[in-house]
Amino acid sequence: MSKDSLDRLIHEKLMREVQAQTRRHFMKQCATGMGGLALSGFLASCNFQNNGPAAALKKGLQLTERDLNPLATLPPPFAPKVKSVIYLHMAGSPSQLEMFDYKPELAKLHNQDCPQSLLQGKKFAFIRGTPKLLGPQAEFERVGESGNWVSENLPHFKKVVDEVAFLKAVNTDQFNHGPAQLFMHTGTPRLGRPSVGSWVTYGLGSENQNLPGFVVLTSGGQAPSAGKSVWGSGFLPSVYQGVQCRSKGDPVLYIDDPKGMSRDLKKSTIDAINKINKAEYAQYADPEILARINQYEMAYRMQIAVPEVMNINNEPDNIKEMYGVEPGKESFANNCLLARKLVEQGVRYVQLFDWGWDSHGTDHSTAVDLGLRNKCRQIDRPMTALLLDLKQRGLLDDTLVVWGGEFGRTPMKENREGKEMGFMGRDHHGDAFTMWMAGGGIKKGACHGETDEIGFSAVDGAVSVHDVHATMLHLLGFNHEQFTFDFQGRPFRLTDVHGEVIKEILA
Amino acid sequence: MPIRHFRIFLGASILSAMLMGCNTGEKVDFASEVRPILNKHCITCHGGVKKSGGISFLFEEEALAEGESGKKAIIPGNASASEFIRRLHEDDPELRMPYEKPALNQEEIDLLERWINQGAQWGKHWAYTSPQDIEVPQQDQVAGFLPENSDFVQNDIDHFIMARLEENELSPNAPAPKGIIARRLAFDLTGLPPKAIWFDAYTQGEMEYETLVDSLLAQPSFGEKWASWWLDLARYADSKGYEKDQGRTMWKYRDWVIKALNENMPYDQFTTEQLAGDLLPDPSMDQLIATAFHRNTMNNDEGGTEDEEFRVASVLDRVNTTFQVWQSTTMECVQCHSHTYDPFRHEEYYNMMAFFNNAMDEDTPHEDPVLKFYSEDDQKTLDQIFQWNLKHGNQEVADKFNKFLIYNEPFYQVHHAKNFVNGELADTKYLSLWPNGSCYYDDIYTQGAPNLYFKYWANDNGTVMTLRKDNDTGEVLARFNIDKTPREIIRKVPFVQVQDSIRLFFEAENTTLPQQTGTSFISWFAFLPDLPGEGQPGHDQIQKKFLDLLNTVTPTVPIMIENPDYMTRTTRVFERGNWLTLTDTVTPATPAILNPWKQEWPKNRLGLAQWLVSKENPLTARTLVNRVWHQLFGNGFVASLEDMGSQSEPPSHPALLDWLSLRLMNENEWQLKSLIKDIVMSGTYRQSSEGNPTLHQIDPENRLYARGPRLRLTAEQVRDQALAVSGLLSSKMYGPSVMPPQPDGVWQTVYSSETWAESKGEDRYRRGLYTYIKRTSPYPSFMSFDASSREVCTIRRTVTNTPLQALVTLNDPVYLEAAHQLAKDMQKAENIETAIARGYEKAVFRELSPDKKQALSELYEESLATFKMDTKAMDDFLGTADAELAALTVVANAIMNLDEFITKS
Repeated sequence: MSKDSLDRLIHEKLMREVQAQTRRHFMKQCATGMGGLALSGFLASCNFQNNGPAAALKKGLQLTERDLNPLATLPPPFAPKVKSVIYLHMAGSPSQLEMFDYKPELAKLHNQDCPQSLLQGKKFAFIRGTPKLLGPQAEFERVGESGNWVSENLPHFKKVVDEVAFLKAVNTDQFNHGPAQLFMHTGTPRLGRPSVGSWVTYGLGSENQNLPGFVVLTSGGQAPSAGKSVWGSGFLPSVYQGVQCRSKGDPVLYIDDPKGMSRDLKKSTIDAINKINKAEYAQYADPEILARINQYEMAYRMQIAVPEVMNINNEPDNIKEMYGVEPGKESFANNCLLARKLVEQGVRYVQLFDWGWDSHGTDHSTAVDLGLRNKCRQIDRPMTALLLDLKQRGLLDDTLVVWGGEFGRTPMKENREGKEMGFMGRDHHGDAFTMWMAGGGIKKGACHGETDEIGFSAVDGAVSVHDVHATMLHLLGFNHEQFTFDFQGRPFRLTDVHGEVIKEILA
Repeated sequence: MPIRHFRIFLGASILSAMLMGCNTGEKVDFASEVRPILNKHCITCHGGVKKSGGISFLFEEEALAEGESGKKAIIPGNASASEFIRRLHEDDPELRMPYEKPALNQEEIDLLERWINQGAQWGKHWAYTSPQDIEVPQQDQVAGFLPENSDFVQNDIDHFIMARLEENELSPNAPAPKGIIARRLAFDLTGLPPKAIWFDAYTQGEMEYETLVDSLLAQPSFGEKWASWWLDLARYADSKGYEKDQGRTMWKYRDWVIKALNENMPYDQFTTEQLAGDLLPDPSMDQLIATAFHRNTMNNDEGGTEDEEFRVASVLDRVNTTFQVWQSTTMECVQCHSHTYDPFRHEEYYNMMAFFNNAMDEDTPHEDPVLKFYSEDDQKTLDQIFQWNLKHGNQEVADKFNKFLIYNEPFYQVHHAKNFVNGELADTKYLSLWPNGSCYYDDIYTQGAPNLYFKYWANDNGTVMTLRKDNDTGEVLARFNIDKTPREIIRKVPFVQVQDSIRLFFEAENTTLPQQTGTSFISWFAFLPDLPGEGQPGHDQIQKKFLDLLNTVTPTVPIMIENPDYMTRTTRVFERGNWLTLTDTVTPATPAILNPWKQEWPKNRLGLAQWLVSKENPLTARTLVNRVWHQLFGNGFVASLEDMGSQSEPPSHPALLDWLSLRLMNENEWQLKSLIKDIVMSGTYRQSSEGNPTLHQIDPENRLYARGPRLRLTAEQVRDQALAVSGLLSSKMYGPSVMPPQPDGVWQTVYSSETWAESKGEDRYRRGLYTYIKRTSPYPSFMSFDASSREVCTIRRTVTNTPLQALVTLNDPVYLEAAHQLAKDMQKAENIETAIARGYEKAVFRELSPDKKQALSELYEESLATFKMDTKAMDDFLGTADAELAALTVVANAIMNLDEFITKS
């Protein structure tokens, strides 16, 4: 059976059901006299509770393609600024003090004891006793028309500084990697909640039915500390969890046909399966069977689309050069190029994790004057290329790019367990750190928030992780206070009871 | 129509809700009619979180009290004088309630007025009232719908179902064909397809249905199937979670669950042993293992984390999980404020926390306390020591030393160290003093013991450690040398007897080591008396054996053990849920809205367990019945399995829910197998699941049960079935979790050297519940089929239908191997036609219909032609030169992807 006729079958089936259902639902309401209460409960709900055909049939009101395909596109409740998100997470947490948050006073205070007033009531992961202040280990300059500060560690990025809006005083109350990453991606440091990408994919579906709606790409040789929960779907249906695509091995687990099985044979296999499933439907009338027929068709198409989009070899040389890709390897540069390809293809949410930013100064690779420079070099060109490439394709207006870590780092030099350490490093610090956003709806060249003279605390424009989430949802066309999912007898939202849209960085 | 007892029962609550709006004179029911309006429109601002104007509608006394304005919101008997009603009618938008929201409709306002005029009687939600005796409804055998469905009524359950069907003018389906029901039953009871021998016996009429049920209930695989369900609730996993997510030896607990289920341990006992096995008199090893239920909380070994923070997180998880598992109640929100909708108060959360706050575990990397499993030989030594102590001491002394041998408690954790000078908590976990280093511990009570035991290792020789009372000039209580150790060991040194609780000062000297080098690394210390019988022949040998046993490395499982009196923790309310902001001190107590506490219960976890399994508890039995029913039908009577309370939808069959709950507690004496048998013996369960579009429209979720259940198999079952029908499945039970093949590069854990070490031999083909669960990186194909990563309690797996699932069963080598095995068996048939039918029937337990046979035959022919033309492809595919086998493998792979294969009909 061809794809067209299958689609027609499903579509016709749906239309019949919608019509019958609407009529029947109305009658049921009258017959049982359930009155206005229950019905208005349905109507007033801001939920998109679509957990499959049965649930939708039950509601009777909005049986849509969604019910056979949980990733079918849904319009956001409000006019969106962007359609997709690319989130660049520097796992381990980069030092804002060597990249964006220029603190000349800190340089003057280098090697002096940290004032006790800063230490009182503060908890650090590793700093004990009285640490010394550590001046910025990089030169800074104001760049672009905006005149925002960027360090010498990011020479390429200086070219696109006017595209981005900085948040200089983001705060988090978590100072360990795992919980802080969970907080950054699920709105809570504890497990069990959906990630931002899951919320977004649940709310909007995907524009491309042959690719996963929420793709995760990792580099740096390690998964993020919090594991797969940072792209988990929590209490949302698991279809909305992030799908990890890999540069090595199968790009998506089990996407490759078994060796020796041709595409034609796979097509015939799926045709045979679906033919039999249709016979089964005739007997059981269970709409789940129709959904399954649809999913097998999608799986077949996905097997072609995923390897295609994950192959960067076919990109022109100038593009490869622009990003600095290394085909065949798992690198941040490759992942940036893949991110562009994925959003170009209509993928809703692309999450990058790059491991290796935990600059404690325990060795060469984690010293802020050594290893950190390497890490900056690894991301500088690719993330700059990503913004330029999106822009030259007209995609930047429809895409939100977010950059950050799970927290920031201390202006103090780490003295692990009170010991003098051989390399210069900084401990975890969540009171004020830098993130940036670029893309549709973002005020270009903005800089919101300011830290004190040594970069320890916010003095102005402090924003929370919840505010970042509220802003992301806003740009995608959601009111974060109304975007909820009922679970355990109450509506849950990404921002819990917090969050305010950061208007200062909106265009 | 005969009188419906069913309706009479319903009258008070559900039915009146349904009739609301048509009825003006009838008494208004608070729980079903008023409460939903309050919860929907009022409680956000006047409830557990906010009490705007000093008014809250959550608790009766608050609602009837004066607000900040001095006016009473509700004056019973007088709606027009009640400020609440006045505000609903207000024209001024500043005064009209709900504030800045649409007004209530007239119907709702009328109802609220009637309720107040009738006396504003508060009522308990049905979920907080114990189930009362229920009469089984009887159908008229002459009239109605029964004749053509005379097989339907098999037991009392069916009368309840029938009553509701009749109301909706539906009739039940015919019974499912024997083959269908045999497969359904086998999956529901054992999680596996039926054994051919039983399947044949039953379908050919040589075995009664009840015999089949009893046989399946007696299978060891019964415990494995139902353990999968319970382990989701218990959040069982093989790793600790969080960043490092190191392995945890937990499988003894998994095995305990399987055995308990197979032994049909009554649910009250099953509950008590898991929540408080350690507090039972003279607990057995099994009862101690059972307490690992609450040691499935996560443990954070990430560098720089504060143990107390994550200890508290575990304790909170235990409160939340206990309420989710036994009470269908979400307590999480009560951590920060009174429950938003249900009558649970903020303080009550901490009363509950107090039950769990006194366990010894403190988020340390060793996960102490852990129960040690000695070898048979060592067990003999253990007994010998016990006998010695009994002979020369007494029972109490013998128990004390025995406990120290099997779980090393009580001891002091080193992370409470204060005031380090030249020292640190190495890796934030081990007490490590550098040369000239010191620190101290407060409130150390040695019980006057003359011996210090401590667990440590040292990398260097020449350290002298001194323990003093109070400070660096205090009385020397112990002084000893520390030299390099081969590994971490437990050691005993003499200690000056002190009666009082003291500050214990530690100092270390080492003249050869460089500064800032750890002289030793201590993980705990403890105080013990001398073994009794000093001076008696053999005492020295016993003492040596005691120390040797302590140092024996054994398999372990983390367990719950209560702190002794002198180490008791005080529980205090957290302000807005923040563990660093503590307010009032609280003691253990259960929520007032639920069943009363009995004096004879101890105020600890044991008492809590007794309270939960008391027949007066309104939620325990209902919760279990609702979830077991869900396992079998894919629906609960209360649709939200997580929540029975004012926010949950009314039950579909309230009388049946209560009838089954009472029967479970009384006639069935809390036995799970009896409950399951009651349900699967019913005609309701045995119906065909065939449907038609009209029926699916009338009752899409099958809440009325006019058809049998039709559900996709679970993650474990999808894999187990493929292995079972192809003959690959191992029947081996128990033991350490296994690592069947998974794609390379799935495990990429930060700061961990642990790897996926692929299992060999039959361990590659074990049932899914034995697969190793690493929380941050669970077995990928299970995750595609909606399994839980077991980080938190999972009450229900949302069933999804996705292309990634298709990719697993089409392409995962596990499924290819199974298809290949099945194809080999198909080849034994006489010809291709029978071969295809044989494979299908073996897999699906049905006869292959002609149209389906044709689809598979065509696939076979095409595959055969392809492989004959392209022998290279064939070689790549299976490494075989047998085109027929390769083509049959393609067909088998298709069979194992059919909806009828991965669904139980």
